[in-house]
Amino acid sequence: MGYFEQALLAAVLIGALSGLVGTLVVLRQRTFFAQALTHATFPGAVGAAILGVSIPLGAAIASLFIVGIMTMIGRINRQGNQVASGILLTAGFALGVLLQGLNPSLPVKVDSYLVGSILTVTSNDVTLVAVVLAFAVLVIVFLGKQIVFSTFDANGYRAAGYREWPIELLTLVLITATVVTAMPAVGAILAIALIAAPAAAARIVSRTTTQMFVIAPVLGAVSGLVGVLLSRSLDVAAGPAIALAAAGLFMLALVLQRLAGTVRAAHEADARRALRRSLRLKA
Amino acid sequence: MIGNAFQETPRANAVAALQVAEASFAYGAEPALTGIDFAVLPGQAVALIGPNGSGKSTLLKGVLGLITRTSGTVEVLGQWPAPAGYIGYVPQTDQLDPHFPVSLEQVVMMGRFRSLGWWRLPSKADHRAVAEALETVDLSARARTRFGELSGGQQQRGLLARAVASAPRLLLLDEPFNGLDQINRDALIETVKRLKQQGVAVLVSTHDLDLARAVCESVLLLNGAQVAFGPRDEVLTLANVQQAFGSVGVEMDEHTIVVPGHGGH
Amino acid sequence: MDVFTPLITAFDLPFMARALLVLVVLSLVAGLVGVLVNLRGLEFISDGLTHAVFPGVAIGFVWGGRDGLFVGAMAAALIAAVVLTVIVKRAVTSDAAIAVVFTAMFSVGIIVVSRETNYVGQLDALLFGRLLTVSPAEVNQTVIVCLIALIMVGFTLKEQVFRAFDREGTVAAGYRPLALDIVLNVAIALVVVAASSAVGNLLVLAVLIVPGAVARLVTNRLWLLFPVAAGFAIVAAWVGLALGYEASVNGGVDLPSGATVVLVLVAGYGMALVARLALDRIGGHHRTRRAVGQLAEPVVH
Repeated sequence: MGYFEQALLAAVLIGALSGLVGTLVVLRQRTFFAQALTHATFPGAVGAAILGVSIPLGAAIASLFIVGIMTMIGRINRQGNQVASGILLTAGFALGVLLQGLNPSLPVKVDSYLVGSILTVTSNDVTLVAVVLAFAVLVIVFLGKQIVFSTFDANGYRAAGYREWPIELLTLVLITATVVTAMPAVGAILAIALIAAPAAAARIVSRTTTQMFVIAPVLGAVSGLVGVLLSRSLDVAAGPAIALAAAGLFMLALVLQRLAGTVRAAHEADARRALRRSLRLKA
Repeated sequence: MIGNAFQETPRANAVAALQVAEASFAYGAEPALTGIDFAVLPGQAVALIGPNGSGKSTLLKGVLGLITRTSGTVEVLGQWPAPAGYIGYVPQTDQLDPHFPVSLEQVVMMGRFRSLGWWRLPSKADHRAVAEALETVDLSARARTRFGELSGGQQQRGLLARAVASAPRLLLLDEPFNGLDQINRDALIETVKRLKQQGVAVLVSTHDLDLARAVCESVLLLNGAQVAFGPRDEVLTLANVQQAFGSVGVEMDEHTIVVPGHGGH
Repeated sequence: MDVFTPLITAFDLPFMARALLVLVVLSLVAGLVGVLVNLRGLEFISDGLTHAVFPGVAIGFVWGGRDGLFVGAMAAALIAAVVLTVIVKRAVTSDAAIAVVFTAMFSVGIIVVSRETNYVGQLDALLFGRLLTVSPAEVNQTVIVCLIALIMVGFTLKEQVFRAFDREGTVAAGYRPLALDIVLNVAIALVVVAASSAVGNLLVLAVLIVPGAVARLVTNRLWLLFPVAAGFAIVAAWVGLALGYEASVNGGVDLPSGATVVLVLVAGYGMALVARLALDRIGGHHRTRRAVGQLAEPVVH
């Protein structure tokens, strides 16, 4: 497989994974958490590069610490989750910048963690994404109902005898795995676009969560594909191109919703007029 | 200050504190409440009674000018829009952050901000008004306590103090008894009686007939539209209540209205 | 190694003194605006604004060099502040919508910079700041922008606190929360512009959220929050700059100054956190933590 075809495949898989897990992020309103994670794992990547180990591994280990600290800070009454995400985002990223500044001769891989470099993904990276995607699909297929239940009605979920922490843990693992494996596509800074935009667009056009779980990965894959193709034809960096493709789909969904709204409003106005007329005739 | 302005007892031909004539309200294009026609005189209290979703909060918001009025008139002391500070509003407490770092007296001071204007700091007169408002609700001892550390009932009374701090002529209370224990209910009733003696007009939405009987001369029954308005004992008949609650199975005793399948109302 | 002398002698040098002045002014504003960010839970919006300002910085820089930077940043900041305020007011998935809008804007910025290959090296400075190379003109710009933000927020301070505490109450009292929100978001955007040139676009968030968070840990008294936040920020800036200087001059280690200041801020936060937890444990406060059930909750504005 040529490097470009490999990049396309990676973009499609990463887009699909981000869309799928992004649905969980959007439904559970964890966008800031996901955003914090994308930035806070940067020192893990730098550390891995310094030690010469695999970058996703470094990022994954860093995320263990990060999620742990975030959870702890989030539980403190005077602080809360916004503060926790914000502090970890900025602390992690600053640490990464510091480490990078202290080691100016690091391989380019570190920069690509920040801005993405889909054109240089290895087949190992692609395999990793495929595995995580398969795992995510299995989780959604078998546990999707419980996840949705616990998301919309935490009290009812608990009352029905379930415990919440397994679902919470599972979604955290999925979000973290997605963030860590999706870096090569768009980089840490823009990853949130691929996680949030296709899912948000899916939310607008879907009427059920099942539809969302299907539409979001499709939109994500399309964003990845379109982004890479555009990046080649317009000669711009792939990361921002993918992010803008995803954002474009979101805008499109908004526009369609507006149009559908006006069409529906017009229909309802007609129906009301017809009803009034028929009532007048009766009276 | 609150006490001075209202020394005379209200006369029968006094200007109504609140006059609503043939009014209808809507949320955007959706009509929410129709055919409202009643008045509240200074020193009097009107109870707003109706099932959930009947429009009690809607009416209060309509009086505050927060939602669209599609027909009719609303006048506060003969004027519309109501001049700043004439109306005091006591919402329900469940929307507030229990960890917010603010004391009870600071919350009550918020009721004075409108009359202060943008950049001025509270004066001695403002501090005095806050102290008096806290006296009125019997919470002076807790003035420095963090608001979130007060009990639900105390928070409700604290919000009442905030509404009272600006010396309003008309007080709107949205289901003030919800979740209150007996001690706080009694305290609230005493406070409202004290305010009425000072000439404040009160409009209170409630499920609780004890409150209506203890404090209100008149009752307005609602169910998306006005069902009845008038002196309390004339309006609170079983027939009227059944019509308002839309069910022949509704029963009414001393304290509550019992809707079949919904328990006490 | 003498710990305390560098805290004074480092700032004999004019460029260090300028850097300190910029950070002190930023700290004062961060003390005010940052506390409001904390009380309103606007950390995410602030992050959005920092990302949204970047294309203005990039486009301004490409068109007008270091002078155009400032103008571009201001334009982008003000537009973004208004757009984000409106989105929050209207959108159902407002947090996702914010993320989409600001990453789209950031992407535009990256594309603009990457097209101009001569400026790729400058991307670093835009993203990570040039604290030690601020010119006197830039100091003036920063001071003026910060003063404007200070006045906007200072003028509406008690109403902002009221709105932070009880949005419905402010509506009932006759205020318009949308107007207050726009004022605050514009002030935040101005701080973002001012702080971007100091600590860099990617580290601005620290200036906005860490001082406020520390103040909340230190005290529960409303009006103390502001001076505590500002004071903490000033001390952290001072220590961070001196530390960077000392490490570079006597230790031979070249610490990026923006990141160093941020890490000192975060270290200070860590100390305050530990102290608060210890104090509460000693005082027997079992109400510090909330129940285990859900580990994270949706955002409430």
